[in-house]
Amino acid sequence: MIQVEHLTRNFEYYTKATGLKGSVKNLFHREKLIKEAVKDVSFCVEKGEIIGLLGPNGAGKTTTLKMLSGILFPSSGSARVDGFIPWERKDEFKRKFSIVMGQKNQLWWDLPACDSFYLNKCIFDISDGEYRRTISELSELLDVKDLLNVQVRRLSLGERMKMEILAALIHRPEILFLDEPTIGLDLISQQKIREFLRSYREEHHTTIILTSHYMKDIEELCPRTVIINHGQVVYDGGLLEMNRVMGDKKRLTIKTSAPIDPSCLAPFGTVCSLNGCQATLEIARNNLTQVSSRLLSLLPVEDFTVTDIPIEESVALFYQNR
Amino acid sequence: MNKYRCIFQMGLEYALEYRFDFLFSMISCIFPIIIQFFLWSAIYLQPGASIDNGYTYEQMILYTLTAGFVSKLVIGGFEYEINEDIKNGGLNKYLIRPVHYMRYYFFSFLGKKVPSAVILLSAVAITTGVAGIALKTAISPVHILFFLVSLVLALILNFCLMFCIAMYSFWVTDVSKLFGTISIVLVVLSGGVFPMDLFGNVVRTVSHILPFCYTTQFPTDILTGRLSQNAIVSGIAIQLLWIVLLVFIGSLLWKKGLKRFISAGG
Repeated sequence: MIQVEHLTRNFEYYTKATGLKGSVKNLFHREKLIKEAVKDVSFCVEKGEIIGLLGPNGAGKTTTLKMLSGILFPSSGSARVDGFIPWERKDEFKRKFSIVMGQKNQLWWDLPACDSFYLNKCIFDISDGEYRRTISELSELLDVKDLLNVQVRRLSLGERMKMEILAALIHRPEILFLDEPTIGLDLISQQKIREFLRSYREEHHTTIILTSHYMKDIEELCPRTVIINHGQVVYDGGLLEMNRVMGDKKRLTIKTSAPIDPSCLAPFGTVCSLNGCQATLEIARNNLTQVSSRLLSLLPVEDFTVTDIPIEESVALFYQNR
Repeated sequence: MNKYRCIFQMGLEYALEYRFDFLFSMISCIFPIIIQFFLWSAIYLQPGASIDNGYTYEQMILYTLTAGFVSKLVIGGFEYEINEDIKNGGLNKYLIRPVHYMRYYFFSFLGKKVPSAVILLSAVAITTGVAGIALKTAISPVHILFFLVSLVLALILNFCLMFCIAMYSFWVTDVSKLFGTISIVLVVLSGGVFPMDLFGNVVRTVSHILPFCYTTQFPTDILTGRLSQNAIVSGIAIQLLWIVLLVFIGSLLWKKGLKRFISAGG
């Protein structure tokens, strides 16, 4: 459904030194610098699949989505979305997808959301009956029935985001790009949007690319994750398998009755923390039984827990590395 | 076509949403006219004045009033929105929808014009009526028809002109100051303040080639009865020619500019 190959996008920019001196200097000469926002990104998404696109701020997620929706031309590389080259901007292609940008407003600010919906209906040539069905179904699901006639600028962020999503779905796109749809929302609103996306997808089998900084969004919705850092793909696979890729480790926490001597722990694995009677070790999964039994016999262990490395930490490693 | 009708209607709704803004924009157009009225009165009515510029005092006042209303009617305003779209990435929402950006703004521009057009056209009608009685000149229905045709074309022409200028935003990030400057120059060049004929033959000839005076002075001259039928027909032809040319230039700039669009923010 979506094929991305060696996609690259550079931006020109210039810097300004702090203060007036820098400003005056910039009046006469601006040194052009090039930032590679996206470099050599490749991945594929199957029809009906939902993937999470993760990466730290400035990693190139939004730029990638903007290229996939034809807003930006790439500097090089190619992409096909349902057979179309996005930046050719064919009308037929535009009817197939939608993009929701958490940080950008696509509704007409000074008019109620229903006016924006109606304009979308006209632009996408949707019949009255289908339009009415869609609005009543989705506004019910998103719980915004009473807000349809309120000026968009008077809505709260959460309400507005629901409207943005609704507006994006009026033409029933087969492909949906969601760029941080839960940004800045409270826990309940985030939960609501996740639930909505899940049930909507189950019913309509929409192909979705979702970006978010909330691991919960990705964990709950996306079986597969692509992580981008510094414009490059650094991981492509399931969120749960990430640990295996990162060295397949387990985390072992022990509590003893007497203070632990640091030197006796070192041979077993990496010591993450040691605080008097409590210590945390990171050890390879296949050593687990062996290490545990030796530790138990060696030290006066009172409490003993084994956990997986939290997903956030694995992801953070990908963010820092490379 | 349905979608552009809807865009037109939304422009109209938009204009009606902010009533006071609308009211003040109407009031604001009266002040320059009043200033000019006193200015021309002072020039023409001073003792011993003999002014030979092709306009009598009454004709000049009639011109000032009519041109003031016409220039307010054809004026743009959407160029700031286009600049915003390009500067802050609001353009995204048009790029991802099956809608033509220039046509979108054109129909939205027309829709937003409706309320002010109703008021300004009434003002023009009253002015013309009063002038007809006071100066004992009668305007023929044919001229009224010609005036309306040329006014519609003037509106389209001015839209195309401002659209081309707005495309400059692709190359320079913030051009709102430039728009301010340009709009003042354009009002003068278009004959919105005083007729361009006042500056002699050379200026008149040049202004008849350039598109600007066809946005204000030309329709005004038709209504005040200064033009022969031949001049009217050839003027309308020039309006059409400029529209075609500017639509072409506008689309070219749009295509070139889009390659530079960076969709900043978020």
